[in-house]
Amino acid sequence: MRRAPQWGVTNNLRGREGFRVGLLLVPAGLALTVFYYLPVGQSAVYSLFDLRFSLTPSADLFVGLGNYVDALSSGEFWGAVGFTLFFSLFAVALDLSIGMFLALAVYWVDTRFRTLLRAIIIIPWAIPNVIQASIWRWMFNTDVGLIGDLLVKLGIAASPPLFLVDTRLAFIAVVWAYVWKGASISAIFCMAALATVPKELQEAARIDGAGRVAAFFRITVPTMLPVLVVALIFRTRDALRLFDVVFGLTRGGPGGATETLSTLTYKTYFSFNRYGLGSAYAIISFGLIFSVAVLYLYRIRNQLSTTGSDR
Amino acid sequence: MRDRTSAKRRHTAASLVVVLLLAIFCLGPLIWIALTSLKPAGTEFRTPLEYLPREPTVENYQTVVSSSFSIQTAILNSFFVSGLAMIGTVLLGGFAAYAVARLRFRFKFASVLLIQAAGLVPPIIIIAPTFILLKTAGLVGTLWAMVIPNIAYGLPLATLLITSFLSRIPMNLEEAAYLDGASWMRMYWQIIVPVAAPALISAGILSFLGSWGEFMHAFTVSLGLPRLRTVPVAILSYSQAFELQWSWVSAATVIALVPVVVLSVVFQRGVVRGLTSGTVSG
Repeated sequence: MRRAPQWGVTNNLRGREGFRVGLLLVPAGLALTVFYYLPVGQSAVYSLFDLRFSLTPSADLFVGLGNYVDALSSGEFWGAVGFTLFFSLFAVALDLSIGMFLALAVYWVDTRFRTLLRAIIIIPWAIPNVIQASIWRWMFNTDVGLIGDLLVKLGIAASPPLFLVDTRLAFIAVVWAYVWKGASISAIFCMAALATVPKELQEAARIDGAGRVAAFFRITVPTMLPVLVVALIFRTRDALRLFDVVFGLTRGGPGGATETLSTLTYKTYFSFNRYGLGSAYAIISFGLIFSVAVLYLYRIRNQLSTTGSDR
Repeated sequence: MRDRTSAKRRHTAASLVVVLLLAIFCLGPLIWIALTSLKPAGTEFRTPLEYLPREPTVENYQTVVSSSFSIQTAILNSFFVSGLAMIGTVLLGGFAAYAVARLRFRFKFASVLLIQAAGLVPPIIIIAPTFILLKTAGLVGTLWAMVIPNIAYGLPLATLLITSFLSRIPMNLEEAAYLDGASWMRMYWQIIVPVAAPALISAGILSFLGSWGEFMHAFTVSLGLPRLRTVPVAILSYSQAFELQWSWVSAATVIALVPVVVLSVVFQRGVVRGLTSGTVSG
């Protein structure tokens, strides 16, 4: 499409233009600097000091990379790294596939039910994470939890499983509680992705004699891919920084089996008051998430360089 | 002809089954909480499990609004925090998006990068320094310690959403007003805001729900004080303090979830459009 004239440049008031841009951008920039970038910088500094019970670095507390050495040689830390990565792998794969299934269902059902089904799917997304965790704590209750009861009734388990006590079951419980809401978030993305697939394209594939499944994987999925990639990156980022669900469901237990990088860091800060070591943990998890973040920024680079054209 | 109608009827029936099954998946846990909330305190631990409360009661609801529980305090706190943070986010995000989408300037790429990269910073890395900052500013112990940071936390998504909406509107929109000599502030409020209303509303809802659900920061700066609890902090502290009174916790959960569930269902279109706005046009 023809690019609309850039009226802002055609006038000679370049100085005033800059002033205007500044006035518009500075408030947001200030807020982000104070509450994101400054704290990140501070954490990076803290991580170089042996800070316990205080957050005032002084020269005699300087330990260089000592906290990082401590972190990398701590079993607790590697346990948290392992759990976080393992969890993310399962959680993201599950929540994207269930999300895709939910989105396809919205498109497949009779049009009369479409709005209703979409509303049903959106509801878990609106539940605050910690409340989601608390609800599932009750569902997974050993004595009177609904899940245990149903497993016994269906003959899958002889007695209600000790979901939050057994290491392996606790892993499943955390993944499931997370995916229940995660699938709803992924479904929102998948619905938007499906909306980008032109109807004619699907029909053309059908006329060519492609089967339903073949048409889905050969036409629908590739067309949806750009949006799916963003969904994948978002969901991976969220899984890697998992905190609320674990904090509310297992508190990292049993015996640290479900400790994530974020819950371990939080504990190191506020239970053990080891701010230096905690900051080192935080910086390392930031590095992990940053690698995903770079992928995301690369993906949305088009929006980043938007020049106000009518694209 | 008859074949077609019967196929249609089968599709309707199958649709109904699918909707029902998915409703059980998505809403089952919430329904279970609602049922638990109707069981007289203590009977929720009876075995064998009662699926439907045998003696349904609303006593638990009376308990959780009484002064010892006071879930309404948490709900009011959450409305205060999320409402004010929403206004701040939409205001600052709208300005920034207007500049990015409608004006030409150097360092645009850098500015947008700065705004979007913030959204990728994990909360755990900023929690301790932010606490110290707010404490130094004398805000810890008030709800402002939650309002102000949440304005910033909502900005990356809100700005992305409003920017991508504004950049799709043809440029000649403001031209006439500009030639008429309207000031840029008036231009923003009288021309941009009405046109961008759908995006501003989506951004508002998403930042409202974002602050409503935010836990780590609210938990840290509320210092365990009941009068400062937001909804998530309150529900978690109930579920840990009243380990044996799940009828109460459930009643509190039901009350606490009503506002967000209503909001998300009423604005479902805005939610879907808003959450994915940065993805679809790329």
